[in-house]
Amino acid sequence: MGASAVGAALVPALLPKGRAQEIKGVNESGIMGPDVVRCASRLACLCGSCKNTVGDCAMLECGYCAPMRKRIAAMQADGHSDDDIVAAIVKENGKQALASPPTQGFSLFAWTAPWIAIAIGLAAIFAFIRRFSAKPQPAGEADTELLDRYQDRIEKDTAKLD
Amino acid sequence: MENIGALAILLAFCFAIYAVIASVAGKWSKRPFLVLSAQRAVYCVWALVTVASGLLIYALMYGDYRLAYVASHSNRAMSLVYKFAAWWGGQEGSLLLWNWLLASYAVIVVYRNRTKFREMMPYVTAILMATQTFFLILIAFVAKPFNVLTSMHGVVDVGDGNGLDPLLQYWTMAIHPPNLYLGYVGSTVPFAFAIGALITKQPGEGWIYTTRRWVLVTWLFQTTGILLGAGWAYAVLGWGGYWGWDPVENASLLPWITATAFLHSVMMQEKKGMMKVWNIVLVSTTFFLCIFGTFLTRSGVVSSVHAFASGSIGKFFVTFLAIGIAATVYLILNRLDFLKSESQLESVLSRESSFLFNNLILLASCFAVLWGTLFPVISEAVTGEKISVDAPFYNRVQVPIGLFLILLTGIGPLIAWRRSSVESLKRAFLWPMLASAGVAAVLAVLGVRHFYALMSFMLCAFVLITVALEFVKGASAISSKSGSNLLTSMVELTHRNTRRYGGYMVHVGIVLIFIGFTGKAFDKDTTQEVVPGNSLQIGRYTLHVASFDQGQNENYQWGKLNIDVSKDGDDLGRIEPEHRLYRASKSATSEVAIRRRLNDDLYVNFAGTSPDGQKVIIQAYVFPLVTWIWVGYWVVLLGTLVCLVPSKTKLIWAKTEVVGIAGKHAKAEN
Repeated sequence: MGASAVGAALVPALLPKGRAQEIKGVNESGIMGPDVVRCASRLACLCGSCKNTVGDCAMLECGYCAPMRKRIAAMQADGHSDDDIVAAIVKENGKQALASPPTQGFSLFAWTAPWIAIAIGLAAIFAFIRRFSAKPQPAGEADTELLDRYQDRIEKDTAKLD
Repeated sequence: MENIGALAILLAFCFAIYAVIASVAGKWSKRPFLVLSAQRAVYCVWALVTVASGLLIYALMYGDYRLAYVASHSNRAMSLVYKFAAWWGGQEGSLLLWNWLLASYAVIVVYRNRTKFREMMPYVTAILMATQTFFLILIAFVAKPFNVLTSMHGVVDVGDGNGLDPLLQYWTMAIHPPNLYLGYVGSTVPFAFAIGALITKQPGEGWIYTTRRWVLVTWLFQTTGILLGAGWAYAVLGWGGYWGWDPVENASLLPWITATAFLHSVMMQEKKGMMKVWNIVLVSTTFFLCIFGTFLTRSGVVSSVHAFASGSIGKFFVTFLAIGIAATVYLILNRLDFLKSESQLESVLSRESSFLFNNLILLASCFAVLWGTLFPVISEAVTGEKISVDAPFYNRVQVPIGLFLILLTGIGPLIAWRRSSVESLKRAFLWPMLASAGVAAVLAVLGVRHFYALMSFMLCAFVLITVALEFVKGASAISSKSGSNLLTSMVELTHRNTRRYGGYMVHVGIVLIFIGFTGKAFDKDTTQEVVPGNSLQIGRYTLHVASFDQGQNENYQWGKLNIDVSKDGDDLGRIEPEHRLYRASKSATSEVAIRRRLNDDLYVNFAGTSPDGQKVIIQAYVFPLVTWIWVGYWVVLLGTLVCLVPSKTKLIWAKTEVVGIAGKHAKAEN
C-alpha cells in the first residue's frame, strides 16, 4: 500500500490536535486545561518513572507533576506569563526542570554537537572520495561523448538483466 | 540445590578460562589437541550454565523462597509463564540468561565451524570465551543468583515472594528481553570473527560472509526485541507511548544502528574490497555498544525507568570495555596493511558513495542518541549542573536525520555501482519523484499542513515507488522470457537474488514503520471525568460509558469500564479498559482498551475515579497510522528471512582495480 493511498484514506484522521474538554487551570482530579498543558510541556517530569514532560505525563497523581501543574495554574491565574513561570521553576529546581537543554552556555553544545558531527563526517567522506577516487591519466584524444554513450548502454543492458 | 547451582557457575568459569588459554596456547604452540580440548571446554561451559539456569528456573517455578532472587521476583499467585519470565526479571537472573545465551551461541559457532576456518577458529573461540569469562565473573562473584536468605538462625524460607513487577506481567514482556538479549549477546559472534580474521590476517571473503550472516541474524533479534519493547510500552503504560527516549531504550537502539550501518557497508567489502577498516570498526562498535548498553542498564550512571538496581557492577563493565576497546584499537592499527582497500571510487554519483552517505547518516543518528543519553552526565561533570534531555530534544534532532535517511533509502538502490550517468539518474528518478511530489500535493490540498509529516509521507512514497518499480521491472523481464505471470515472476526474481530483493523488502518495512511514526504528528487526546451513563467525544469517536464493574482474584483487584464506541454514529461495539491493583506489590496498573485499525487506533485508559467517587476518569487517545509500525515489523522480518535464504543464482562480482578509463585506452594504444 503506497503512502498516497494511506494519506488519502486517512486525511480525516490527520487533522490538527484538539482537546475537547474546556478546563481552566487544573481540576480536582488533576486534569489540566490547555493553558496549563502549553506551559507544562516545556518542563520535564522528574518523578523518575517516565521521561515525559509535565504537560504529557499521563499519571494524574504523579508525585512531581500534580503539584507542579497546580502551581503553574495558580501562577497563570495571577497573570504570570509562561516564560516567567518556567524561569521561576528553573530558578527553584535548576536547569534539569527543563524538558530539553537550554540553547545557551554549555548546553548549547547539546544541540550543536550532532550537526558538527555530521559536518565532520561529510568532510571526511569528501576527503575519502578525493583520496580513493581513481585518477584518470591524461586522456589524450579520448572521445568522452562516445564513452558516455557506451556507459549508458551498459547500464541499460545490465538493468534489463535484473 | 543452591550449592549445585553456584558450583556449576564456578566450574563454568574455570572451563571458560581454560578454553581461552588452551585455544591461544594450542594455536601458538601448534598443538591441535589443546585447541580441540578448548572446543570441548566450550561444550562443558554450556552444559554447566544450562544446569545453573535449569536450577534457577526450577526454583522459580516451584517457589523455593529460600533463594533471595526467587523471593524478590516471583510469588505463588503468578502464572507459570511469568514465573519462567522472572528468570530475566532481575539483575542476577538476567545475567545468568546472558551467560546461557552466550554459551549457546559459542556452542553453535564451534560446532558449525568444526571443519572451517581452522586458522582463525582458535581465536574466535578465545574471544567468545573471554567474553563468557567476564559475564561468569559477574554471576559467580558479584550478582549471585543462588544467594539464600539468612537470619541469625540460618537459612530462611519466607513462604511467598514479592512477585514480578506487575508492569512486566504482559505477554510481550515474556519474550521482549530474550529477543533483545539474543541480539545483544549475538553481537559477540561477528566481533569474535572480525578479531579472529584480523589476528590471522584471514585471506578471502569467506569470513566476511559468515560475519555478515551472523550480524543479520542478531540484527533481526535486536529489531524484534526493540519492537516488542515498543509494543509492550504502547499497550501497557497507559498513554500509548511506544518510544520514550529513555536511556535504556536508547542503549538498545545504539548497536542496532551501527549493525544496520555494517549491513550496508559490508557490501562495499564483498563487491569492491573497500571499507575494510570501517567494517571492522562497525562490528567492534556494535559489540562494545551492546556491552555499554548493558553497563548503562545496570550501573545506575543514568537514571532510567528500566534500570536494574545499581551496585558495584558498573566498574567491572568499565574495566572490560576499557581493555576490550584498547586491544581492538591496537589490533586495527597494527593490521592496517591487511585492511588496505582493493578498489577505488570512480564517481561521487555511484552506489559506493551512497553507502558512504548512508553510513554517515546512520552514525550521526547513533551519535545524536548517544550524545543525548550521556549529555546529562557530561553536563554535570563539566558545569556541575544537572540537565534533562527528554523527548523534545531527540525529536528535534532525530526527525531531520530520519527524513534524510528515508531519502537515501530511496536513492541508494537506484544508483549504479562504479558510476551513474546523468541520463540514467533521470531515467531512474523522474517518475518516483513526480509521483511522490504528487502525493505530498494531494495531502496538502486535503488539509495536511504539518511540514515534517508532509515531507515524511512524500519520502516514504518515493521509496515505496522506487522499490515497486524495481520489482516490476525485474519481474516483467522474467515474465516476458518465461511467460509466467507477474507474481510468479516476482517470486522467481526474489529467489534469484535474495539479498537484493530481501533487502528491498526490509526497506519497505522500515518505510512502513516511518509512516507509523509520522502518524504521531496527528495524535488526539482528551482526559475527562464522566458520570457512568454519559458520553465523551474524541475526534470522530463517541465513547458512551455504559457501566462500571469491579472484582478480585488471588493476584489482583480490578475495576472495569464497559464503554460502547461509535464513530460518526456507527456502532463499533464495546471496549473494556481495566484498572488493577496487585496484592503482592501493592502497585496499580492499567489494562488499556485498544481498538486497532490501519487508519487509527482508539486507545482508552481507565485512569481512576474522581475524588468524590461519582465520576470515572477516562484518558482517550486517537493514534493515526500507529498500526503501520507493527505491520512494518512483519515486513522487516519477512525481508530479513528472505535475505538469509541462499540465492538461486550464484552471484560473482568481478573486482577490478580501476586505473581510469582514459588511462586504459592509452595503454591499449601503446
